[in-house]
Amino acid sequence: MKLTTVTGLRSEIFVPITPPPVWTPLKKPLRECRIAFITAGGIHQKRQKPFNTAGDFSYREIPSSIPTSELMVTHGGFDNSDINKDVNAMFPLDRLRELRDEGFIGSLADTMYGFMGGGGNVEKFKEETGPAIAQSLKEQGVDIVVCTGGCGTCHRSAVVVERACEAAGMSTVIIAALPPIARQQGAPRISAPHVPIGSNAGEPNNKEMQTAILKDTLNLVVSMEHFGEMATLPYEYRHNV
Amino acid sequence: MSMSKEKAAAHANEPAVLCCQRPKGTVISEADLEDPTIFVDLEDSGLLTIPEGSLTVGEVLGRKLAADTDALTAVQAAMLESGAPAADLGTAAAGPKSGIASAGAKREDVVIRSLTHKYYAVDDVSIGDSTSFASGRLTIDGSLAKKALASSLLVKKVEMDVIRPDGDRHIAINTIMDVMPVAVKRTGRMGEGETAVLDRVVFCLTGVDENGVQIHEFGSCDGYLDERVAFGRPGAPDSGDIIVRVNVVIAANTGMERRGPLAAHTACDVIVDAVRSVLKASGEAPSYTRGYRDVRRHGLPRVAIVKEIMGQGAMHDNILLPNEPAGVMGGQKNVDLGNVPVMLSANEVRDGGIHALTCIGPATKETTRHYFREPLVHALAEDDELDLVGVVFIGSPQVNDEKMYVSERLGAWIEALDLDGAIVTTEGFGNNHIDFAGNIAAIGSRGVPVVGVTYAGYQGQLVVGNEYMDAMVEINKDAKGFENEVLSCSSICPEDAERARLMLKAKMAGIPVAPAERRWSQGVIDANQKLAAGLTAGR
Repeated sequence: MKLTTVTGLRSEIFVPITPPPVWTPLKKPLRECRIAFITAGGIHQKRQKPFNTAGDFSYREIPSSIPTSELMVTHGGFDNSDINKDVNAMFPLDRLRELRDEGFIGSLADTMYGFMGGGGNVEKFKEETGPAIAQSLKEQGVDIVVCTGGCGTCHRSAVVVERACEAAGMSTVIIAALPPIARQQGAPRISAPHVPIGSNAGEPNNKEMQTAILKDTLNLVVSMEHFGEMATLPYEYRHNV
Repeated sequence: MSMSKEKAAAHANEPAVLCCQRPKGTVISEADLEDPTIFVDLEDSGLLTIPEGSLTVGEVLGRKLAADTDALTAVQAAMLESGAPAADLGTAAAGPKSGIASAGAKREDVVIRSLTHKYYAVDDVSIGDSTSFASGRLTIDGSLAKKALASSLLVKKVEMDVIRPDGDRHIAINTIMDVMPVAVKRTGRMGEGETAVLDRVVFCLTGVDENGVQIHEFGSCDGYLDERVAFGRPGAPDSGDIIVRVNVVIAANTGMERRGPLAAHTACDVIVDAVRSVLKASGEAPSYTRGYRDVRRHGLPRVAIVKEIMGQGAMHDNILLPNEPAGVMGGQKNVDLGNVPVMLSANEVRDGGIHALTCIGPATKETTRHYFREPLVHALAEDDELDLVGVVFIGSPQVNDEKMYVSERLGAWIEALDLDGAIVTTEGFGNNHIDFAGNIAAIGSRGVPVVGVTYAGYQGQLVVGNEYMDAMVEINKDAKGFENEVLSCSSICPEDAERARLMLKAKMAGIPVAPAERRWSQGVIDANQKLAAGLTAGR
């Protein structure tokens, strides 16, 4: 049996290795911490310019006092129907305010950020978007940054920004629908509920689940001790499209 | 970090860089050398510079350092004592070679099924009062648009027109959701018997919602037809094709929900189906015919193609085995099947067994026509050195746990099929690369040589990876490596299929495939293509 072959072929696609660790330990109890939430899942204010779904490294300011009815999604990488029902499924701002009001966390950053990480230009996110968001959050005295991705490349972009925040001296965690991407891209802490992309922060209009995911995730920032740690959360939501 | 013997052998032609400080008289071994895969990171952070004329790993192994030398120094000839021979790492020069895969069983070819495609050339298409096909003239009943409108409450408007190749192609289009051939079974089931196919005409489905939002996900090819289509790609119209454009308007805000795009495809199929009916009954003589056979080539290496399809709803779905070639009606939806692997024969694929709804960006999506003309399926089915056992279609689910589940089911199939090799392809990029990596691992971890084929380029660079992804074919065709929103631009072409086939054969024959460079490089692709072209010419 003969196979026509050649020598000298080279594989054409680089397979990534995880970047070096970046780590900021948390030094305060949660009830004293200032929290910021950022998302690569394409959330922005309705009055703002929508993202370019073919790739966009710009970002939008989201005041933590804004009613969630004034937020929307522009993202082409997944079924939007869950976020259309309840924006907290990607950006759980109502839940964060409740946690602040009940004293579970200290306070919220005045300005949080939404960007559309799908197909994101890695260099731009690394050199511009990540450092800019990190600087603003640091200046607001943020202790913990929680983030969600969205689609696959969103997780990549989210982790790039997350790592910039961690490097700037804040403890960060990603709520990942796609934990392998978060891990491979070098996320410092990974919280992994069983959720589909498009409702990364939990089932729409399920306040209990969204709250539980957020609380467990924040507790992980307290308990995790090493770069790259991942914990699976016992919440499951399947989106039957 | 030092290297293992295997790693040093794999990187024999890369620059040799000391990983740590080493004293004079050290006989250099792989343990003294830095892993070349991290050179780019080291160079980026200013820790390493590799001057011209640095020696390679193969050239320094076994040689003695002439002086104390610092860490992260690229080794130069002057830094070594003369005399000691370099270790033999078998750095053979590139060139054609015939390898023996394994001692085979008895050779015997068995034809499982035969398929004939009868092609009917179409010289002109017009919209008229009834649907007919005679003497190369296709007339489509204009009132079919109304019938299509009635197919779903979500469909709000259906328009149809004809775009001719000799006329103005610089016309505004909404995003192209699909390109479809017109084909109908005359005898037999999908993949066997006789199929009539219209030549030089395709249907293009375009669409928006009631708010004017394009029905697309990751990028859109709305704009001007002549600028937004890579004419001639397997999945695109050819430059000489007449295009029947069916433009559908669906209910507001349903473009990104599963039901919306499906309604648009269903409406379009109502029109195509009416054309199929007249083609089926036509007594015209065909312009030419093509024969396809599913052949079991006993005694040859058993290989499979695994084609990953999207399965996350919205436009992320595919319809398997519709009633008529490339149609919608009667088919099984991949999402409803749970994304599990489903096996089709090469003939079933080539006979229109897949209707594509996927639209992850126009350049990297595989349209219905792409499956109808799939170059990799064709290349392997016709290869008389291989026994192509079939084409596995596997979905990319939305939930990570389900991704692992379907990849593992694929692994179980591969094991049961007792394969000698497999090629895994995917379309689009991002989260489906998790499945891509998982599927390749499911095959590679079972000791089966595997090659991966995907668009990665710059924008779609892999987000996950594993040790089995060591023979990869890049299908990007954009100069900057982006999803450039040009229909079918970066999809699998015959040249890509050639490189994938060659890489698989090399792996099966035990011939090393060198590791990828750290960044996407067109030069690597061109060099592989040259090797493939040399072989084809030499046959």
